[in-house]
Amino acid sequence: MEPAEAEFLAEKELVTIVPNFSLDRIHLIGGDLGPFNPGLPVEVPVWLAINLKQRQKCRLIPPEWMDVEKLEEIRDQERKEDTFTPMPSPYYMELTKLLLNYASDNIPKADEIRTLVKETWDTRIAKLRLSADSFVRQQEAHAKLDNLTLMEINTTGTFLTQALDHMYKLRTNLQPSESAHSQDF
Amino acid sequence: MAATQKPMRYGHTEGHTDVCFDDTGSCIVTCGSDGDVRIWENLDDDDPKSINVGEKAYSCALKNGRLITAVSNNTVQMHTFPEGAPDGILTRFTMNANHVIFNSDGTKIAAGSSDFMVKVVEVTDSSKQKTFRGHDAPVLSLTFDPRDVYLASASCDGSVRVWKIADQICTTSWPLLQKCNDVINAKSICRLGWQPGSGKLLAIPVDKVVKLYRRETWDSQSDLSDAFIMQPLNVVAWSPCGQYLAAGSVDGNIVVWNMETQECIERMKHEKNYSICGLAWHPKHRQIAYTDTEGNLGLLENIGDGKKPNDKVASTVTKDYNDLFDGEDDDYLNGDMIEPQSSPKAGANEDDGDDLMPTSGHLKRAIIDDDDNSLDIGMIKANSNLEKEDDDDDQTGGFPALPPSSTQQPFYDGPMPTPKQKPFQSGSTPAHLMHRFMVWNSVGIIRCYNDEQDNAIDIEFHDTSVHHATHLPNSLNHTMADLSTEAILLACESTEELASKLHCIHFSSWDANKEWTVDMPEDEDVEAICLGQGWAACATSALLVRVFTVGGVQREIFSLPGPVVSMAGHGEQLMIIYHRGTGFDGDQCLGVQLMELGKTKKQILHGDPLSLTKKSYLIWVGFSAEGTPCYVDSEGIVRMLNRGLGNTWIPVCNMREHCKGKSDHYWVVGIHENPQQLRCIPCKGARFPPTLPRPAVAILSFKLPYCQVTTEKGQMEEQYWRSVVFHNHVDYLSKNGYELDENAKSQSVKEQQELLMKLFALSCKLEREFRCMELADLMTQNVVNLAIKYASRSRRLNLAQRLSEMAVEKASELATAPEDEEEEEDFRKHLNAGYSNSATEWSRLPVRNVQQDQEMEDAEETDAYEEVEETPEGHKQSKKIVLSEEVSSNKKDPVVPSANVLDTMSKYSKKTSLSSSRAVNKQNPPVIKPLIPKPKSKQALAISFFQARTLNSSEKTVEEKEEKAGNESHEVKVTAQESTENRRPKTGFQMWLEENRANILTDNPDLNEAEVIKEGMSRFRMLSSEERMVWTEKAKGGTVNDLTEDKKRKRPTTDEDEVKKNQEQKPEDSNLSKKPKPLDQSTNVRLAAFAFKQS
Repeated sequence: MEPAEAEFLAEKELVTIVPNFSLDRIHLIGGDLGPFNPGLPVEVPVWLAINLKQRQKCRLIPPEWMDVEKLEEIRDQERKEDTFTPMPSPYYMELTKLLLNYASDNIPKADEIRTLVKETWDTRIAKLRLSADSFVRQQEAHAKLDNLTLMEINTTGTFLTQALDHMYKLRTNLQPSESAHSQDF
Repeated sequence: MAATQKPMRYGHTEGHTDVCFDDTGSCIVTCGSDGDVRIWENLDDDDPKSINVGEKAYSCALKNGRLITAVSNNTVQMHTFPEGAPDGILTRFTMNANHVIFNSDGTKIAAGSSDFMVKVVEVTDSSKQKTFRGHDAPVLSLTFDPRDVYLASASCDGSVRVWKIADQICTTSWPLLQKCNDVINAKSICRLGWQPGSGKLLAIPVDKVVKLYRRETWDSQSDLSDAFIMQPLNVVAWSPCGQYLAAGSVDGNIVVWNMETQECIERMKHEKNYSICGLAWHPKHRQIAYTDTEGNLGLLENIGDGKKPNDKVASTVTKDYNDLFDGEDDDYLNGDMIEPQSSPKAGANEDDGDDLMPTSGHLKRAIIDDDDNSLDIGMIKANSNLEKEDDDDDQTGGFPALPPSSTQQPFYDGPMPTPKQKPFQSGSTPAHLMHRFMVWNSVGIIRCYNDEQDNAIDIEFHDTSVHHATHLPNSLNHTMADLSTEAILLACESTEELASKLHCIHFSSWDANKEWTVDMPEDEDVEAICLGQGWAACATSALLVRVFTVGGVQREIFSLPGPVVSMAGHGEQLMIIYHRGTGFDGDQCLGVQLMELGKTKKQILHGDPLSLTKKSYLIWVGFSAEGTPCYVDSEGIVRMLNRGLGNTWIPVCNMREHCKGKSDHYWVVGIHENPQQLRCIPCKGARFPPTLPRPAVAILSFKLPYCQVTTEKGQMEEQYWRSVVFHNHVDYLSKNGYELDENAKSQSVKEQQELLMKLFALSCKLEREFRCMELADLMTQNVVNLAIKYASRSRRLNLAQRLSEMAVEKASELATAPEDEEEEEDFRKHLNAGYSNSATEWSRLPVRNVQQDQEMEDAEETDAYEEVEETPEGHKQSKKIVLSEEVSSNKKDPVVPSANVLDTMSKYSKKTSLSSSRAVNKQNPPVIKPLIPKPKSKQALAISFFQARTLNSSEKTVEEKEEKAGNESHEVKVTAQESTENRRPKTGFQMWLEENRANILTDNPDLNEAEVIKEGMSRFRMLSSEERMVWTEKAKGGTVNDLTEDKKRKRPTTDEDEVKKNQEQKPEDSNLSKKPKPLDQSTNVRLAAFAFKQS
């Protein structure tokens, strides 16, 4: 899976916007949206929020967790714990990136939030690498990782499985070489 | 007279707080666990200046424009005052400091920390530090010797130590306190105090007494105690003159002693018994500011006023007689030093008290007046108490009763008048704020910035399609604003040079001049403004209301009976709220005028009294989006005009019920009736929101204060009446010729009838048949039929019988009403409005023919029918009709199960609602008429009878109509034609009338068409039942003939066939397809009637 695909999935998440136009309920395949009343908060998927925002048709209200204090707490918790802590949203990284890119003017302390989320992300990825390392070193057969988000799995998933395949091949190749030798006889 | 205790107010979030006055006493400075230092102009300051100093502030001190704070990052910081700019860090500890203080000249500070250390630092040079080590636990409190020689400290290790500053050595130590390991576990924070001036005495709160130690000798001079103190004392504070000592306890008591006499002069109790953790004397006045551990700030005023010299009753001063002689000289010396200022008072105490009183009272009034938007009723009460000696005694509680003073002048002892509420604009925040909302309504937001850099107005529209956002310079200093989809209205008060102005920006104007300005006459200030559709209005201080067109033409002008409070406009409606008179005991006395400024100008509310919650004032007034007047009072009750009940006000929401905290409020920005939404902004700890961060709108639901809403019955009753109230606007709007969404209306009626039916079923279940009848009385005709069915099915025959009687009555009422008006009706109105009524009627009629078969088929129905048959003859017939009617409604639509009440309901109810809302409608007679058999067909008869003639005379019109209908849609036609077709052959009465018309006409030659039918009906009724039966049979037989006759009419047969096919395929239809149908029908009816009259 590509990061772009994960981002695509994240765009289905709902965020609150304050539209500055009036529109009756719209009926889409994924469900009904609206009605849109100017000045009245309404929940829409991220893709629509970003589209409207780019056309300056709405003001975005950041998700509750997108707040410096809450993110600091999450970051500290993440650093303290050895295991992965639950994230406020399964798409926290994607949402942060999307919303901060397109609606940073509606999000107070956008830069701090970006830094904090990045720090949390880095901590988690470091943990992930570390655990992958020990997994390989100890030649474990299985491992369980909780609270990982889709995007995080994507960063190492393909690489790790391929690497394990290669290692398996290398390990199994050791024996055939002997037998090949014997065949040479 | 005793001190006045002002109500506590929210200062900081819960937690430890500290308080001090600035050098001049012009403001109170507090710090709290939210890390903010707040600067309060006075206790009623709604907008204190906040300086954030850290995550948590433990203590603050202020001197010479320097503010020092002990904060949670273990530092002692300095800020400039009052700017609040950071001015460096004075010292650091390894733990947080618990207390910081200035010395008397403000050159040094001392700080005591949880790391057991005490430091003294020079303010100008933080490198000059002295550290005092010796405590074995966190340091609680400190005090500087006013002569700068010693420093006293109290610690959790239980000791109070006195240090010599120069040598950094401990001079003496007393093990006075209880030991503990941390500040939070300490019973008392033991804020000790050194007597100002000479520094002769050191006061230390120890448990329930204040111990006084003498300087140099360090021996205990005396203890101050009082029976009033039940819990350990937390804080002591000396008055700046050194003559009084105040102490606050952990259970919220404050006691003040006069040191000269060592007697207790004041005893106060905290409203909620929270622990007092900060006490500060005003540098000049006899005021004490105090804070508690819940973050509240309070103020005591006029300390020591009215103190009786010989009032010693409760104070027990235990003198330490060993030191009596030693101390005596010093005491006198000391006393002399301080006395001059206070001694005259001791003698002429009473005069003093009297003199002081009016001034202080006046002062408070002034405060109230300054504070425009947030008038505090509690404060007013305190104010009125001021003038009432008796109340004061009550208030001080434990204070011994004072003998009434003989020199006192007699006071007015009745209810005290409430200061009149100032005029305000709805949806605005107080004008004294630098950044404020001038208006926030359903159209947009106007903000006003008034700071050093900028004096400007920002206008933003919720819907950017109305107009783009605008930024205006505010050179005229506008304070009032209103916003509509047409214009922006601004107004300012007069200044010395400039008159008060009304300024309108009419952005929707199509010419180039978008703005106009009007100057008010001299000495006339605009006090409230509003915008409607096409007009603007302002109320002025001259008690005038001036109306302008939105383009700037002056229109009406009229006088108000009292000073305006606020006004609001919507469409043609103008609502003005004004003072009708003086309110008493915290109540306001307001009146309301509501007028319509449209083509027909009229006043709807003629200055009626406005109902407000007790001791509240108005905070919002406006219209719902649908145009119903609403207002909100300071107790959070939203009221709405109930046009359905003689223009009374009904409370529709209590916003306080939605608040989480006591000091939280909702700030209303708009009200919508459909959907039911109360749009408002939640404000934490305030009445109004700040401009930044941008507040988000929340939606509250409405709830009428009905009883027992927790029960199913109460809940449904509330829902029903709420639905009724919130749809009153439909009738109002339709009466005033607004376009209406028919769908929404039928939806609402459907909802109401559904609720009634549920209530009916509930009452049935509870065996409350009388109640069932009462409910049925509220139902529409068709739902009553359902109710009858329900009753008969659930074997409540008595109820069913009574219900059908009621149904008959109802029908007759309905029938007579429109008949009377029939004549006045004009043709055109019919075309426009009347048709929809007949629609359902017509389409239902055909089913009637097969009535009897159906009855046979439907076992249940028959069952019910038979039961009914036992009732007296008179009712029998009508009942039959009722039942069959019901059957037909079910039969008509075989696909829809009969249980689906709503389908049929919506259709029927629509009809009834229409008929009721339009009084002048010509309506087909209702389904059932008790006196005349088969009255329903009356109109139909007219048509069928005169059809032939009609066709001759007005063939063209009919054709035209039909073509039109055909174009519109087949479906439409289907139902329409179908019904006409089938219906014509119908009734026996019709045939009878055909035969007997001539007779009737000869008997009464000057009867018109309707009267002929009436007459015919009454005659027909005279016939015996057998005869009538014969006619009915005939009618049945004649159906075929009639149908052929139909073909005479020039209708495209293909259409007809198609129609029939369609009809078969999709039996019943939605409202939508039905709507146009009536057009044909009623047109025919009309034309027929018309033609007949001509002949």
